[in-house]
Amino acid sequence: MITHELIERIEGEAVLDFKTDKSGAVQDAEIRFLHFRGMEAILEGRNALDALVIAPRVCGICGHSHLIAAARMIENAYIDAGFSLSITPKAHSIREITLSCELIQNHIKWLYLVMLHESGKLLGEEPSVALKALYASSKINQLCALFSGQWPHSSYALPGGVTCDPTHIEVMQALKILSEVERFIEDEVLGCSAEAFGNHMSNDSLLLLEGDFGKLLRQMDRLGLLDAGKSHGRFLVLGDNAESIANGVRSIADIALVSEDSSQTFAEGGNTYAKNALYNGDFYESGPLARALVSKREGISVMHQRHSDSALTRITARIDEILTLTAHVRQLLTTLDLSHPSFITPSAIESISGSGVGIVEAPRGSLIHRARIEKGRIASYSIITPTQWNLGNGTMTNPGTAQKAMIGAESTAKASLLFRTFDVCSVCTTH
Amino acid sequence: MNPPSLKISIMPSKPAKLKVIWLQGITCNGNTHSFLNDLSLGSLLESVEFIHHPLLPCSKTLQELVKKLPKSDILIFEGAYKADFERAGMAMKELLMTLASRSKHIIAMGSCASFGGIFKEADSDHISGILFDKEKESGPLREIREKVITLSGCPAHPKWLSFVIDMICQGKTILVDEFRRPKELYGYLVHNGCLRNEYFEWKVDCDTFGTKEGCLFYDQGCQGPFTHGSCNKILWNDVSSKTRSGTPCVGCTEPSFPKRELFTTKTYMSIPAEMPLGIPKRSYLALAGAAKSFHIKRLEGKLIDDNA
Repeated sequence: MITHELIERIEGEAVLDFKTDKSGAVQDAEIRFLHFRGMEAILEGRNALDALVIAPRVCGICGHSHLIAAARMIENAYIDAGFSLSITPKAHSIREITLSCELIQNHIKWLYLVMLHESGKLLGEEPSVALKALYASSKINQLCALFSGQWPHSSYALPGGVTCDPTHIEVMQALKILSEVERFIEDEVLGCSAEAFGNHMSNDSLLLLEGDFGKLLRQMDRLGLLDAGKSHGRFLVLGDNAESIANGVRSIADIALVSEDSSQTFAEGGNTYAKNALYNGDFYESGPLARALVSKREGISVMHQRHSDSALTRITARIDEILTLTAHVRQLLTTLDLSHPSFITPSAIESISGSGVGIVEAPRGSLIHRARIEKGRIASYSIITPTQWNLGNGTMTNPGTAQKAMIGAESTAKASLLFRTFDVCSVCTTH
Repeated sequence: MNPPSLKISIMPSKPAKLKVIWLQGITCNGNTHSFLNDLSLGSLLESVEFIHHPLLPCSKTLQELVKKLPKSDILIFEGAYKADFERAGMAMKELLMTLASRSKHIIAMGSCASFGGIFKEADSDHISGILFDKEKESGPLREIREKVITLSGCPAHPKWLSFVIDMICQGKTILVDEFRRPKELYGYLVHNGCLRNEYFEWKVDCDTFGTKEGCLFYDQGCQGPFTHGSCNKILWNDVSSKTRSGTPCVGCTEPSFPKRELFTTKTYMSIPAEMPLGIPKRSYLALAGAAKSFHIKRLEGKLIDDNA
């Protein structure tokens, strides 16, 4: 039987076309995205610096990642054009801080607004507004704004550095906010210390966690989904520490092996606006689980050995990443050397003709901005978003990453929930 | 950690909550996420409830919403309008028009909903705001213009929205400008309250990004002196703003957004081509010439001598 399901409560909507057997189990699932805005065309012809205002508007929840990707892309175009360009360690750290904040707020919202809500609904519960989670995500956005001026839609990163020139006042405020968020993670999300959480990962006892994350795992357990959701087991990180993992073999990831496949799009007679992103011609999983495995984070590595790329491992990787990120932000804030310049003025953009690539590890995975700049103008612009890696459509014999995770699910409702473990973003996927 | 708004207060009687529908056109979801930044969301939700919202718990999914388009007290529209753009299989023309006709108040949330915004650039002839198409009042809701409140901005600030909702809840009249933006929010310029005002007064420019000193109006393209908005009065995320973090205002609350060459000031005979709002060029020149001649030492040096 073929059924169509509109998936809401993601960023935008997706349509899943399920093929099920008599028992209702999912045999195949096609993922479709029906909205398209044409961001690349909007960027083309403009001054390259305008990308720092336009590109963040690709996405309301990860626009800061798009800003940093655009800034890095232009910086690399300077270098490609034969100009020297560098940013100070201070500017680099501040970008890392604000980017990390965006990931943290994303993961908190995904846990509470999407996963706890949807798994609860599937169990017949009517979840209420997760005010405490929204308070925490607002606070981490506030930390970001101390440097970036605002979240969402800041344009504070420019080729050459950042526009802000913070004092210790901002740094101290940021540390205070960070402590508040760390307390929220330990008290509410985990219900225990970060260290105890690590032990639960090692001892395979996460279901005992008293916090809301434990509640999610228990709900997923009641639905019989913790061990479901396994995919190809191929992972990709193209940002910092670029590496791919396939069949257990690690290799340094090479941007030259990235390709886009638009054969399923409306333009080529298909049913979606989304293009598949492929690495070495294959579907790879991008995002928190890939990052955890590539950087050999202990807890997730152990879980992956035990449970492979199941929903349990994938969900836990996103929560575990929050702890890694808060620790990272704390370390950056406490070591930030304010005496460095925030910005080193590069040559005028009008003197630049070159190509650039900007890669960022965004909330959902590897984000790529590529452009050709001619005398400071954008001649062509191409964006590959993280969700294109995870939510691509393949064939029955070679399904995309999320497709494979859904195939075999007992029902379309359960498959839809597994789909959400990838943290779906429609607006990014088609952009 | 508990938000302050979660403290239980004993109300003498509970008035009925206003019913709100949050509908999205062509959007990035930026206004949705801006709204979720409201630290007083808990208080707001004591006076409103969502029939539909894209992310918050609500009584109807999008699919249920389109089956029987309900009445509402407030319709919040986020994103740009295009007649044949669909949500849950229903074209925006029918979806927006019907929901708008059945709602007492309509809020255009953000610059796309207000004027077309960035996404209008992709298909300028067919994409607009719900009431305005750039400056022109030719959007689909022009017949019911009196019901519309414009909250332009990319995104709009969550406190701007909660202010309008609170005013509606209390039955107060909201004074609006020619684009139906609340005057109390948009009567100010982004320039008002900017920490760099003194540099503007004495015409001290900024030779580079990334410093606390100098005004961004002369070289860096800052549109604060002619952009309506209370960004430097009601701070972003309660702590900052573009200009406070050294970023030029990009004029995102105006129908002209997005202009081009956003990080450079267009000049004419080496003075900014666009004048501070309402200031005749001749007055500006006279004042600027005098101010510049003083060379005030304090404003030419660093604000804080040694940052180490």
